[in-house]
Amino acid sequence: MTAPAARRRLSPRAKAALGIFARYATIVGLVAMIVAFSLVSPRAFPTLNNFTNVLNQASLTMIIAAGLTLAVIVGELDLSIGFAASLHGILVTGLIVSNQLPIPVAVAIVLVAGAVIGLINGLIVTKIKVNSVIATLGVGTILTGLAFAYSAGVPIVSGVPEDFLQLSLGRWLFGIPNNILIMVVVLGGLWTLVERTAIGQEIQAVGGNPSAARLAGIDTDRIKILGFVISGVCAALTGILLASRLGSGTASAADGYLLTAFAAVFLGSATLRDGEFHVLGTLIGALIIAFGFNGLNIFGAPTFSQYVLQGAILIVAVGLSSLGRSISES
Amino acid sequence: MVRSPAAPFLIAEGVAKAFGGAQALSDVSLAMAPGEVHGLVGANGAGKSTLIRILAGLVTPDRGRIRLDGEDITVSSPQHATALGMSFIHQELAFIPGMTVLQNIMLGVPKATRFGMIDWGRIAREVEPVARRVGITAPLSSNVKGLSTAENWLINICRALVRKARLIVMDEPTASLSASESRKLFAIVEDLARSGVAVLYVSHRLDEILRLCDRVTVFRDGRSVAGFARAELSHAGLVEAIVGGAVRRTTKPAEPPPQGVVALKVSNLARRPKVEGVSFDLHHGEVLGIGGLVGAGRSELARLIYGADAPDTGTMELDGAPYAPHRPADAVAAGLGLVPEERRADGLVLTKSVAFNLTIPNLAKIVHSPLLPLIDDRRRSALAEQTVRDLAIKTTGIEAPVGRLSGGNQQKVVIGRWLIRAPKVLILDEPTRGVDIGARGEIHRLIRDLAAEGVAVLVISSEPDEQPDLCDRVLVMVEGRIVRELKGAELTRQAIIEASYARAAAAEETPS
Ligand SMILES: Nc1ncnc2c1ncn2[C@@H]1O[C@H](COP(=O)(O)OP(=O)(O)OP(=O)(O)O)[C@@H](O)[C@H]1O
Ligand SMILES: [Mg+2]
Repeated sequence: MTAPAARRRLSPRAKAALGIFARYATIVGLVAMIVAFSLVSPRAFPTLNNFTNVLNQASLTMIIAAGLTLAVIVGELDLSIGFAASLHGILVTGLIVSNQLPIPVAVAIVLVAGAVIGLINGLIVTKIKVNSVIATLGVGTILTGLAFAYSAGVPIVSGVPEDFLQLSLGRWLFGIPNNILIMVVVLGGLWTLVERTAIGQEIQAVGGNPSAARLAGIDTDRIKILGFVISGVCAALTGILLASRLGSGTASAADGYLLTAFAAVFLGSATLRDGEFHVLGTLIGALIIAFGFNGLNIFGAPTFSQYVLQGAILIVAVGLSSLGRSISES
Repeated sequence: MVRSPAAPFLIAEGVAKAFGGAQALSDVSLAMAPGEVHGLVGANGAGKSTLIRILAGLVTPDRGRIRLDGEDITVSSPQHATALGMSFIHQELAFIPGMTVLQNIMLGVPKATRFGMIDWGRIAREVEPVARRVGITAPLSSNVKGLSTAENWLINICRALVRKARLIVMDEPTASLSASESRKLFAIVEDLARSGVAVLYVSHRLDEILRLCDRVTVFRDGRSVAGFARAELSHAGLVEAIVGGAVRRTTKPAEPPPQGVVALKVSNLARRPKVEGVSFDLHHGEVLGIGGLVGAGRSELARLIYGADAPDTGTMELDGAPYAPHRPADAVAAGLGLVPEERRADGLVLTKSVAFNLTIPNLAKIVHSPLLPLIDDRRRSALAEQTVRDLAIKTTGIEAPVGRLSGGNQQKVVIGRWLIRAPKVLILDEPTRGVDIGARGEIHRLIRDLAAEGVAVLVISSEPDEQPDLCDRVLVMVEGRIVRELKGAELTRQAIIEASYARAAAAEETPS
């Protein structure tokens, strides 16, 4: 009943049509964009090389956005992910360069740190009952402070071993970039977790109706904490891969991922399902954003236009998502 | 009360509507005359709410015509329905919690303005007498958030009157009202009819229909199968028309079964001010009723037992072992199940499928193995299909979103999820609210079967006939305390009602 009057006046048939539009609009948009760019720039855009490149770049966004998807499925927002990823980038380079730790150990420590940050977010939200926007914004800001404290404001650039750079820059299996392989494993794993496992059913129930889920015997706090932990681990992984790609640990290097991840998640929720968050949708959302920016780059669009596009995509994404939801509810 | 028959002003004829593959309405007709109370009855999923949604402009019919004052109309939107003088109080009420009573009453009504600003002062003066007439006691400026369901209903009726509706449609109005609130509502309905308003009244409670209605239309499987004038009305005739045959009465064993072992022992459980120290034993194989008025603290007691709220004092034992759940998950793990009072808010994930909702507490049964907790689709479908069959849940399939099911069928899904589990203790809070008379018998039989298998069942109900039919024993609760235990021959509808009012009456006689 809270839907604006304009929407209520739609005929049921128009509403059904609109529903289909909302569901497939993102996919149609993605295909249309690829076709359009290919026609305009047949030599630079539609090449295997460029596509691999786009996917490679997008992999980091996809990983962090897939993690965020888990947090939003359980009905919470995690605004700490970008700041956390920046801190993790510094942390992993610091552990390798300053503390001389072997790369696998450093990576493992940082992944655990990501899980701990997620755990803290989850505990604040479920036990102290702080709104997740406030809680994760607070935690994120503290993490930024820690990042500056740890690096003393100076990026760690020298002494980063080649092996660590290879983590992100290397290729494996038919020469596919590592980033893409890692992304596929992470997203495949999360998709399976959410869609195919018992705990995934509980995750979806908590997101769909927390009160009903609780009374059906689900430990809703535990599930919400799990959502934050997964989000935190994915942020850590993105931070590590970004540091490897940049060859440095820089405070606030990954802050921008926050907005992109949100845009991908909301675009994704408007995809195939009526405003429901899901991992496959997030993947498609991230692809749209990646190809959009790639196109702008190829055409040499000025930097400011990237910000404009980013903001516009976020608004359109949230709009489509809530349109889908209101249709499925009516 | 005999009212003079008038010519119908609203006629629906041959209306049909399919949702995807589901034929919700095949061919229904209905005629409404001014000043009449018209009952609309039928089993769950018969199509009552669908016809109402068509009249309200929320759904477009596939076929059929609707005539108002002799002219064919198409109701294109809720605003259009309002303009045509029709007002609706739907099965599931919707409110805007942040707003005042007055704002909710005036929702969608053109408002008087002064210098372009809404003149709330003048509106309040105009609405005030109407609000008092329907019995709203809360100040118009108070927030609707704290109001009871009954008061929400009154607000809706008041809104209809302010809009000067000729037709007011009420979809299961008494489903969440107490007995005294219901009586007030009946008086209002009769008053409305006397003033010439037509009321379309949907209910599964046939005693209400018999008492209130001048005419009754019966739907079955999307068709209007019978119409009765007041003189022709009888309980048996209505039941026959609704289910298309006879109904099996509840099969409560004539002799109460020998009391089994104590399953749940509750000692001095309290959460003030709603629950003021309650003690009782619940036995395996027993159906124990908790009777009393709405607001007596029964649902709150259920929540304490289930770990949904924390008690101030008191202890519990389950099968002889200490039992102190901190959250419902603990209760479920210990072998309890709860069918909550508010199925849409607390029972179901409405956007998810029937299968999803049935299997939520039963995930261990549908995974490949504990070590490989991946969902086995075959087991999931088999389990869901089986439950849908056992409970005769009317749905297009197990993958249909549960929110699309009719009210009674949604209730069956919530019950079904626990039947799969066969818990030690099952608590049912208003198990047959909104459930049709045939399905009600089915649910009662399922409950008795569970008890026969040794499950300890606790049934909270506000429907006066339900507990004598179903329960071996009833504890009557008044103001957070158990005041009476009824069993055997003394367990009657009358005894429950008397005990429910006992304490309140005593308190009135001796003011402290
Ligand atoms: N939006 C919808 N999509 C699909 N099926 C629907 C939809 N709305 C109703 N139905 C189906 O139409 C049938 C009639 O439903 P309706 O709600 O009108 O029944 P009802 O008579 O009001 O039942 P109850 O007494 O349980 O409220 C049901 O089988 C229901 O599942
Ligand atoms: Mg209905």
